[in-house]
Amino acid sequence: MTARSVLFLGTSSDCGKTTIDALFCRWLKRKGVKVAPFKASNLSLNSWVTEDGREIGMGQAFQAWAAGTDPTGDMNPVLMKPAGNGRMQIMLRGRPLMDVSYNDDYKEKVMPDVCASYDHLREEYEAVVCEGSGSPAEINLMARDIANVGMMRARHIPCVLVGDIERGGVFAAIYGTWLIIPDDLKPLMKGFIINRFRGDGSILGPGIEQIEKLTGMKFLGTVPFEPLKFPEEDSLSTADGGIGKGDVHQEFLRNLDSLLDNAEKSGVDFEGIWDIAGTSD
Amino acid sequence: MDSIRVQVAKELQKGDIGSNTECPYHPCHFSGQNCSFCYCPFYPCMDPDLGYNVKSRKGKDVWSCEDCLFIHRNDVVAFVMQRAKELGLEAGDPRFISEVLPEAKRRFFHLGKAIMVVGATSDAGKSVTVAALCRILHRMGYIVAPFKSQNMSLNSRVTPKGAEIAMIQVLQSQAAGMRNPNEHMNPILMKPKGNTMSQVIVEGKPVGDFSAQDYYNEFVPKEGVEAVRRNIDFLKKRCDFVVMEGAGSPAEINIYDKEIANMKAAEIADADCILVVNVKWGGSFAYALGTVKLIPEKDRKRIKGIILNNIEGNIDYFMPGAKELERLCGIPVIGVIPHLDVDLPSEDSEAFRRANVRGNGKLRIAVVRFPRISNFTDLDPLSAEDCTVIFADKPEQILRADAVVLPGTKNTIDDLQWMRDNGIADALAHVKGKVPILGICGGYQMMGKVLHDPNGIEGKAPGDYPGLGLFDNESYWKDYSKVVRRDRAEMIDGGGEVEGYEIHMGLSDVKEKPLFKITDRGREGETEGSVREDEMLFGTYMHGALDRPAFRRKFISMIRHDGESAAPEPPVDYGDVVEEALDELADGFEAHLDMDKFKEIAGVPR
Repeated sequence: MTARSVLFLGTSSDCGKTTIDALFCRWLKRKGVKVAPFKASNLSLNSWVTEDGREIGMGQAFQAWAAGTDPTGDMNPVLMKPAGNGRMQIMLRGRPLMDVSYNDDYKEKVMPDVCASYDHLREEYEAVVCEGSGSPAEINLMARDIANVGMMRARHIPCVLVGDIERGGVFAAIYGTWLIIPDDLKPLMKGFIINRFRGDGSILGPGIEQIEKLTGMKFLGTVPFEPLKFPEEDSLSTADGGIGKGDVHQEFLRNLDSLLDNAEKSGVDFEGIWDIAGTSD
Repeated sequence: MDSIRVQVAKELQKGDIGSNTECPYHPCHFSGQNCSFCYCPFYPCMDPDLGYNVKSRKGKDVWSCEDCLFIHRNDVVAFVMQRAKELGLEAGDPRFISEVLPEAKRRFFHLGKAIMVVGATSDAGKSVTVAALCRILHRMGYIVAPFKSQNMSLNSRVTPKGAEIAMIQVLQSQAAGMRNPNEHMNPILMKPKGNTMSQVIVEGKPVGDFSAQDYYNEFVPKEGVEAVRRNIDFLKKRCDFVVMEGAGSPAEINIYDKEIANMKAAEIADADCILVVNVKWGGSFAYALGTVKLIPEKDRKRIKGIILNNIEGNIDYFMPGAKELERLCGIPVIGVIPHLDVDLPSEDSEAFRRANVRGNGKLRIAVVRFPRISNFTDLDPLSAEDCTVIFADKPEQILRADAVVLPGTKNTIDDLQWMRDNGIADALAHVKGKVPILGICGGYQMMGKVLHDPNGIEGKAPGDYPGLGLFDNESYWKDYSKVVRRDRAEMIDGGGEVEGYEIHMGLSDVKEKPLFKITDRGREGETEGSVREDEMLFGTYMHGALDRPAFRRKFISMIRHDGESAAPEPPVDYGDVVEEALDELADGFEAHLDMDKFKEIAGVPR
């Protein structure tokens, strides 16, 4: 039996995809499912070196620990490391491939390896929890997108869209993202989550219903606002290193466990996400 | 009345003099105003479009035209001068009111056009866009005012008439070339109190504390809508353009019919709208398209242009996406604006939350980051100096600083407790006498010996709370009342003038040497603030005390950095810095806006 798979997309950078991906990995781990994280391509200066000497994004290393497994090069086949002056180094399956400028299109070159990594994980694990990159609705970048519509098209992965309510405009962000996703891929858009929510959830009701009606996506819950002590992997954010004094992994997992408890309490529908993952090809 | 007639006779004789830049009060209304009729030949016109009655000290009705700008328009002055000559009118001739005024109104009086800037999110760049558009229109020679129906902010200022409005509308009013910001520009101000309640201020005066639910269900449908209508009408009668600002996103479909900060205000004002999207976080096309498509069609028609804001890197790569967005929305993208590095006062709480440090100077000034910090724009002028301002919430940051500021707070007693709990109060006791400490407003109250709150107005429970004891002052919260006023003063040691404003619940019994001498007419002899020069302790209720150079220079001159005195550079007036920044901002927008499309939306004749 092939592994289940789900792809978490975000309405913007820094909307909480990485954390929600880690939470779902953790939830599956608790359930006894053998699970791996996957992010097809990642722009980050924070990286981790795996046992076999592969360099991957820090976010995927932490997600792997959340999943109770060891990080591998397949979990983040393309790592882009900004090198200044508009140039980046491309790491492919953990090994340096070439230097490119921000506007170079290298998708053709890397896509076969990206897919091979993904397929490999699906053979080895019972579930693969994928994370998109930035917003999937960047019209100007869509043709060379790898981690979002790139993977959707290549492997038909069902998707859950994460919106960040902290800045406001979350309904517009979710609806607008869904509208811009190419029509042939819209059937893969299965559900949405509202992240960083504070206060009384009932006031969102009418808005959520309208979005469900307009898009056919299922509402999968609100995740309470609560900072995860997580090394910021987004190149836009600055990490404040608030990990504390203890062992970094243990500290992170403790924090993640309490976040998961709270997310379950606030009604995040992890079972629903698991069902969605079950619709993968 | 006779004295006015004498003045008007002189004015008619002199003819059209344009702006009188020699006058010490110039510009008393707006820069570029025509001063020929400092005294109005139509007074008292009794025209409700232009003025209103106020009560005199004896309780009589007196016609007030202090907000009238009509007679300061160039075209109106030229016309009145010409008609006076043609008809052979002398000052006091009743035909001024019966013939000339109606004719002038027919020709030149019109309701201003409202334009509204809405944002796809908070912190989309609405406030700076409004400021930029105000300055652009002002530079074209129009009379312009900013407007935000409802602002939730802890940064407020006091207008010359003693009304409390959001700081950002004061800044936008400066961008518009207005001398005097007024309560019409921000009729509803909400100041969150830290729990779920907000103090609601209407037309500059507090009306009470509301929960979110009561505010939306009770206040908004009645008083709220009326306040918006009344004040928009007031501004439209006096200005060529009213540039409005929305709040948050206009597409919050769960409360769409309940809120009055966005499309409802646009409807009341009959405004055409421009949608601003911050590109920085990604997903901007989706945010723009989703916002447009979720707004019901009757309101969507008002959105006439989209601005993609805050782009880092090469904007050319963005253009194909912008074209496609136009097609999807059916609305033109009228601006693709790069990230503009303009140093303006910081209003947005989100921007603030993410920045712990401002400036990059030699002197390290720790500003205690109270959980309920307010008016933190007080510290902006320090960025005009060789300072790094660090918003500090840990005792180590206090111990390492070259100077410490205790800023304003919405809750003095709770934030003092917070400072005790996290060790900052101990750190302050440790650095006392070694580095300068300045308390402003709530921070100043904390510096005293005792805080008396017998009715539990400020704190959670009634009681007498010990202060930090840096000063011997005692503060009292006896009733639910609020001091809101502007102060002009000078340094008591002769160091020069300062200017600022007070906004506080609670009063202090001052037992220290005062810092300032009030110079406002009618308040001569009053003093303000406290100082212990030998211990380098300063305290004041005056927000904005650091804006003018005198006190800022004094404070900075006390700071030693690594044992060296920090001799301040030649002091700058922060007002001038802001003025330059506003021009820079407007230049940046003009360079990247499709000005023809903008003029079309605004209805500016080409």
